[in-house]
Amino acid sequence: MNNNPSLQTDNEDRAAPEEAFQWAWGAMSAHHWEQAARRWATLRVVYSDHAPVWIQAGVSLRHLGRYDQAATLLREARHRFPDRPGGWIDGAEVELERSDHEEADRLLHEARIRFRDEPPVWLRSADLAWARGDVDTALRYNQHARDSFPDKPGGYVQYAEFAMAGGDWEAAGERWTRVRERFPALPMGYRRAAEAEERLGRHRAARRLRLAEEYGMDWLSELEDTEREVTAPVMPPRRRDWRSFVDLVWTKARLNLKSEANRNHLRYMWWVIDPLLYMLVFYIVFGMLMQRGGEGYVAYLLTGLVPFQWFAKTIQHTSNSIIQGKGLMHQVRISPLFFPLVGIVQNTGKQLLVFLMLGLFLVFYGLPPTLHWVAILPVVLLQLLLMVVVSCAVAMLAPFVRDIINLVPTGIQFTMFVSGIFYTLDRIPEQWRSLFFLNPVANILHQYRLILVENQWPDWSSMWWVTLGCLLALAVIVLLYRRLESIFPRVVIE
Amino acid sequence: MSQKKGDIIIGLRDVGVRYKRRGGLFRRPEYFQALEGVTFDIYRGETLGIVGRNGAGKSTLLRVVAGIIRPDDGEIVNSGVTVSLLALQAGFDPELSGRDNAIMSGMLMGYTRKQVEARSSDITEFSELGSFMDEPVKTYSSGMRARLGFSVAVFMTPDVLLLDEVLSVGDKEFRKKAEYEMMKKIHSDQTVLLVSHSEQQVRRVCDRVIELEKGVRS
Repeated sequence: MNNNPSLQTDNEDRAAPEEAFQWAWGAMSAHHWEQAARRWATLRVVYSDHAPVWIQAGVSLRHLGRYDQAATLLREARHRFPDRPGGWIDGAEVELERSDHEEADRLLHEARIRFRDEPPVWLRSADLAWARGDVDTALRYNQHARDSFPDKPGGYVQYAEFAMAGGDWEAAGERWTRVRERFPALPMGYRRAAEAEERLGRHRAARRLRLAEEYGMDWLSELEDTEREVTAPVMPPRRRDWRSFVDLVWTKARLNLKSEANRNHLRYMWWVIDPLLYMLVFYIVFGMLMQRGGEGYVAYLLTGLVPFQWFAKTIQHTSNSIIQGKGLMHQVRISPLFFPLVGIVQNTGKQLLVFLMLGLFLVFYGLPPTLHWVAILPVVLLQLLLMVVVSCAVAMLAPFVRDIINLVPTGIQFTMFVSGIFYTLDRIPEQWRSLFFLNPVANILHQYRLILVENQWPDWSSMWWVTLGCLLALAVIVLLYRRLESIFPRVVIE
Repeated sequence: MSQKKGDIIIGLRDVGVRYKRRGGLFRRPEYFQALEGVTFDIYRGETLGIVGRNGAGKSTLLRVVAGIIRPDDGEIVNSGVTVSLLALQAGFDPELSGRDNAIMSGMLMGYTRKQVEARSSDITEFSELGSFMDEPVKTYSSGMRARLGFSVAVFMTPDVLLLDEVLSVGDKEFRKKAEYEMMKKIHSDQTVLLVSHSEQQVRRVCDRVIELEKGVRS
C-alpha cells in the first residue's frame, strides 16, 4: 500500500546525493519497478551508506514479487540503519504480502516499540491484524492511527477501506465522507466513495461524487445544502394567468418606450416635439397658406388626422410583430398575442401626449374645452379596442401570408381616404352616408369631431354598434390565436 | 401531484414534427421531417441526455417538450409540471439597463415580476456586474452580456429544466463558475433534459442518454 515515494518515511536530509537518487525515484513514480530495482542496485554500489538504496530497492522488488530478495535487502537496511523505520515497515509489508504473518508480526512489534510516532507502523499493524482475521485488533490499531495522527489521511482511508473490504458499503460511504471532510484534496475520498455508491446501486450519487472530484468539496456540500433547503424552489406558474400576462405586456411596452427614448439625445422630448411639428405643418399649409376649407378647417382636419395617425402608426408597427418575435418565440413559451399587444400599448403611451398637444392646440385655436370633452374617454377606448382587433388580425395573418405586409401601407392609405379626414360629412351624398359609417374608423373619427369641434355628445348608438362588432371580432381572433398558438413558432421560420 | 422521485412526469408518444421547406399558393409544398416516431418518458428527478449530430432534431425535440411547438404526429403527455427552456438573454434590449433586461427576461421565461425582483440581488451578485447593472446593455462586452443572461436563467427553476448546449458562456473564469453552478443544478433533484453534441459531456452527467439520428431515436 505504501508505494508512493512521497509517503516514505526516510528523510534524506544529510549529504544525500538527491540528484542521483532522482534517477531511481523517477522510475518508481512511473511504476517501472524492474527499471527502478536495477537503478537502485547501481546506486547501491556507489552510495551504500545511504538508506534509500536499500529500502527503496526492497520496495521495488516487492512490487515485482521477488520477496526473498526484497526481504534480504530490507534486513540489511534494518541492520545498517536502525534509526530508520523503513526497514521495519517495508519489511513487514513484504512479509504481509507473502503471508508470512509470524515474521510480519515480529517486525511490527519491534517497530511499535522503536517508532511509536510513525503512522505507517500502526497502519501496517492494522493491516496485519485484518489479514489474520482479527478485526477487533485491526480496528484498535486503526483507531490509534486516527487518534494520534489526525492530520494524516492514512488512518481514515484505511478505516474506510476496511468497511469496503467487509462489504459494508453504507459504512464505507460514511467513512469516505469523513475522509473528504478532512482531506478534501484527496482524490481517493471521491473515487472510492463513488465505487461504494455504485455497489449500492446509487449510480446518480456515484456520478455526483466523481464530478465532485473535479469541482471540489464545496460544490458537493453546497449541492447537498440546496437540496435540503430548497423545499419550495422558484417555480413559474404552470401557465401564465391573465394578470401576469397583462403585467408582462405592460412592462415590455414601458421598457420599449424607455429604450426608444434612450436612442435619442432629446429622449422623451420627441414625443412632444414630433406631434407639435406635425400640427404646425398642417396649420401653416392649410390654415395660413391655402386658406381653404373655410373657417375652422384646420381644427376639423387635425381632430381627424391625429386619432387616425394613432391608428395608422399602430397598425404599421404591429403588422410584422409576430414575425419579428420569432427569436423570442423559439426561446420561451409565450402567447403570440403578446407581440401585437405590446406595440399597441407602446403607441398608446406616446399618443396620450399627442392628444394632450391636440387639446392645447384647440384651446389656442379658439375651441375651449366643454363638458363634452369628458366623452373623449369612451371614444378613445373604443378606438383602442378597434386597433386591438385590426392589429391582432393583421399580425396573425402576416406569418401565413407574408405578402400581406406589402398591402398594409396601401390599406392604411385607403382607410385614410374613406374615413373623411380631409373632407366634411356634407360632401357625401345622403344615400351613401350609412355605407360611409359602416367603416368603423370613419365612425370613430366622426365622434371625435362631434365632441371636439361641434361641442356635442357623441352618437352613442353608432358607437354601441361599433363596440359590438369589435367585441365579436375580438372573440373570433382570441379563439384563433388559441388554436394557432403552437403553430406560429413553426410558421414564422418557414 | 405527488412528488415521488421516479414518477413519469412527461411522456412522448410517437412524436413527429415536420417543417415546410418551401411551397406556397402555386407550388406543391415540400416537407422536411425533423422528428419521427420519437417515444420516451421523462422521470421525476432524472438527468436525461439527448445526443445526436447537428440537425438530428435535438433542439426541435426540446421545443416540443417545452410546449413551444406542437407535434404533427403523436402526442405529448404532461402530468402537470412546469417546463422551460433555459433561455439565455431572452428578449434582451441593448438600449436598456442590465436590471431592466434581467426583469424582462425573467418575466418572459414565465415568472411573475415579483418573483424576478425577489432574486434581483442574487442576479446582480452572481453576474459580478456590480454598478454595470444600471448601464445600458449595449455598453457591455459580449462576456458581460452572457454573464447577465446566465445569471437570470440560473436563478429560475421550473420542474423540468431544458438545457440546449448552454455550458459555454462568458469568459473562461465565468465559464468555470457557470459550469459549477449548472452542474449543481443538474445534480440536485431537478429534472433536467440536456442536449449536447458532445457525447462525452452527456455521459459524464446524465442518468440516461437518448440518441437521435436524423429525427429518429436510434
